[in-house]
Amino acid sequence: MKTRSLVLWACLALLAIAAHAQTPVDVEVGYRWLSLSGNSDMYRTQINERDGLLIRALTLASTDTPYTDHFRLDISDLGVGPAGSLRLDAGKTSVYRFTLAYRQTNSFSALPGFANPLLGQGVIPGQHTYDRDRRMIDADLELLRWSKITPFIGLSWNRYSGPGTTTYHVGQDEFALGSSLTNRDQEIRGGAAFEFAMFTGQVTQGWRTFKDHETLTLLPGANAGNNSDPILGQPINATAITRDDRADGHTPFTNAYVTGQFTNRLRVIGNFVRFAANSNSDENENDAGSFASFAISRFFKSLTEEVNGRAKNTTWRGGARAEVIVTDKVDFLAGFQREHRALEGSALINDLYMQTVNFGGLDPRDIQTIVKSKSSLDRDEDVLDAAISARALGPFSLRAGFSTSHQDVDVSPDLSEIVVPGSSQGGTFSRRVNTSDLSGSFAKAGFTLGAAWRHDSANDPILRTDFLKRDRIRARAGWLSPSRFFRAGVVAEESTPKNDSPGFAYDSKIRQYTAEAELSPTEIIRVHAAASRYRADSTIVYRHPENFTLDTSVHAENGKSYEGGVGLVFAPASIDASYSRFDNSGTTPFTIDRYHARVMFNLVGRTGAVAEFDRDKYNEPAPSYGSFQASRYGIYLRWTQ
Amino acid sequence: MSMKTCAVGLSALLLLLGLPGLASGQTPEQNPTPPATTTATATTTEAATEQAAEAPPACADCHDEAKVFATNTHARGATITQGVVSNDTCVACHGDGTEHALSGGDKTKITKPAGLTGSNDTCLLCHETSTDRLSRRGGMHANTATVNCLTCHSIHHPDPRSPHLVARPQLELCGSCHTQSAGFINKPYRHRLGRGGMECSSCHEPHGRPSTSVRSMAMLNPLRTTHAGEAPCLNCHADKRGPYVFPHGANAVGDCVSCHEVHGSSNPKQLKRANVWQLCIECHSPIAGNTLGSQPPSFHNLSNPRYRNCTSCHTAVHGSNRDPQLLK
Repeated sequence: MKTRSLVLWACLALLAIAAHAQTPVDVEVGYRWLSLSGNSDMYRTQINERDGLLIRALTLASTDTPYTDHFRLDISDLGVGPAGSLRLDAGKTSVYRFTLAYRQTNSFSALPGFANPLLGQGVIPGQHTYDRDRRMIDADLELLRWSKITPFIGLSWNRYSGPGTTTYHVGQDEFALGSSLTNRDQEIRGGAAFEFAMFTGQVTQGWRTFKDHETLTLLPGANAGNNSDPILGQPINATAITRDDRADGHTPFTNAYVTGQFTNRLRVIGNFVRFAANSNSDENENDAGSFASFAISRFFKSLTEEVNGRAKNTTWRGGARAEVIVTDKVDFLAGFQREHRALEGSALINDLYMQTVNFGGLDPRDIQTIVKSKSSLDRDEDVLDAAISARALGPFSLRAGFSTSHQDVDVSPDLSEIVVPGSSQGGTFSRRVNTSDLSGSFAKAGFTLGAAWRHDSANDPILRTDFLKRDRIRARAGWLSPSRFFRAGVVAEESTPKNDSPGFAYDSKIRQYTAEAELSPTEIIRVHAAASRYRADSTIVYRHPENFTLDTSVHAENGKSYEGGVGLVFAPASIDASYSRFDNSGTTPFTIDRYHARVMFNLVGRTGAVAEFDRDKYNEPAPSYGSFQASRYGIYLRWTQ
Repeated sequence: MSMKTCAVGLSALLLLLGLPGLASGQTPEQNPTPPATTTATATTTEAATEQAAEAPPACADCHDEAKVFATNTHARGATITQGVVSNDTCVACHGDGTEHALSGGDKTKITKPAGLTGSNDTCLLCHETSTDRLSRRGGMHANTATVNCLTCHSIHHPDPRSPHLVARPQLELCGSCHTQSAGFINKPYRHRLGRGGMECSSCHEPHGRPSTSVRSMAMLNPLRTTHAGEAPCLNCHADKRGPYVFPHGANAVGDCVSCHEVHGSSNPKQLKRANVWQLCIECHSPIAGNTLGSQPPSFHNLSNPRYRNCTSCHTAVHGSNRDPQLLK
């Protein structure tokens, strides 16, 4: 039985028992049907709601079982997926508290235009696809017996697995491969929260392990690779490619904070977190066919590769901050944080090329290469911030702040990474960003106004797309009528990251405007409408690698979104219906129309029926590879007691 | 331990915790034997009448909220009689209601926490916790007249399907102010919020401190972290955590948001640019300045579709244990 089914049936069993016991329950269980036309892969990539049994929602709460005095179970969309969750919160006052969360998601991707050099020939989907499941469990137990100290333990599991397809480059061509991946991540943690005199805090010590296993094999029919052109007159093809990658690792971590309430007006908080992640990897590959390698300047018939790698990530972060109550209405806040991250890795790569000849077809021999490859990166970041906040000046609040952050990066790349000698692939990089911000809000008689301005100024970029100057402005206004029959709000936001320096000419402007209103003239009707616009225009100079000419990369988005909905309640039925349209022009034009309707009807006693309808129409302009139209119909039995 | 073992354990645990009490068919309302925490009831009709005459009026006599408050978070540890919380539970927030009751419900004689004053004088008496990331005083949602505890939380009328007594489903609640982020949800590729367990607060810490301009996502105070203090993305995407022998510099230096637009994107991989090659070439372009990774991508001809699909070859974009150029 699948994990998902097991949990589903356990929940249904619990529900049946609760029904018998007349425990307070609110549940919707039923079936969903899918009607789909167009590109089903694109539908599954974007939405992926499928036919099947579903606990659409469940809430079960009890105050009295032998082991608990509070017990609450919440479920959302557990069943056919693509995503479902279960959350349990149970405990006994002054004895224990137990929380548990379970989540399942199905990740699917099969896109026409991603990793697809053959799209122009009408071949879809692209060569990188996956259909994988993720299961996550988090469980935490707190012991509440003692007033000064609260010990706890916790466990987490995260498993990601399933098939996929991918490509990689071997012998001067790319080949389509089938992949089977299993990734397991487990964590155990323990610690205690404490409260002694003026100090409160928490210490957590944890250990995490992971195991990763992926097998790759040449897909049927993929022997010719993506590149049909011969290399130096010789066709490139593969008769077999197999690869087996395994990695495992462990990560001990420590996470702690302590808060000292020294006086009524002074509170100081210190924190420290550190983890040391280590991984070991073993990769084995066997390829056969007809290949070329410029690294050894030869054609070859087979390759056997063994790679042993080690990697380490040691990161710590610590800091302190103070909260000072200057007056009853004014606070001063200041803090300092430092984060250090050290990454290092090394790999021993053992390649055995069999039946090689030079590019002239002469000098047959087998060649073995052994390469020790390594890299390291150190990254430090310091942040100092201070702010004055007046939160309650009558209807007004004001805040002014300043922060300065400094980042140092020291990179030692492997020599093989360097295409053109120079400093840009490795070396030391430094960047300081000073930030000033000012914000205020006003609230009175249902009106709210808010405005925030923030200015960032940096000395140097580390990545090419780093800004040197950025201004961000946000303004917000809203009104809620006294009897709450009408609510309206508008928000405008603009961000302008730039780097005017020669050779960058990075200029970006992102704007978002939204207006919404909701009208509830009576308890039985609610009407909602919203309109928003998202505009992004970004340009930066880049160099064509094939001829070194300069060009400008232009990214533009112009998205317009309209939504409208109505909710009606007239016993014994209620209706919610809405429509939205998102129209995007720019670099990737498309439109999405979304329809939603939900009708709930009370039947006998505390039972009811719920009918749910969703339709998504995704349209790309011609040539359209990804357009689809998907309707889902759900019928659920609702029961409350 | 396998996932199936976990699932079996989870199912067993659900049944263990929930089943005995539920299976007995005894709800608090029906329980013939009062639990230990229940107020003792009189054993004779005469005694009951006498006691009722002397007892102060119960809040639940007039207020239906008190009748359904037993499963509320704030009723934990409360004295519950036949499913109704005792007056003591109400007093914690509303003060002594004796005069209010005796006056026949005079609203001026009872405390009703509301707005900024209610938050300051009632909620924060218990909930003013300051941790390394949280601050009720300096937080981005620090108590103001505009945004305070009771703007988002509803003690008596919370969304029945949400935890933490939030007033409405998170997507609706947060989106009522953060409309610009809600607008991203309309894009075709986005996290599946509001259904299946993922909410705004899966990544965001609503009580967090204001953000500063930092590179490290883990240092962004309004975000949650993993238990080990890493970026919240890794809570789910653990397979991208590494460490790798050869990490991608953009990720190692700038974290996930160097390349990804997390709220919603026109790009299927939620990238910041619609086309992959654009995203890559904007950094990997040697023109001027000392910037990391501005090495040219070999001599690839961008007019050829083979080279415009960078990830067809550079499949290990998050990091590789084999290849410094992230080819596999």
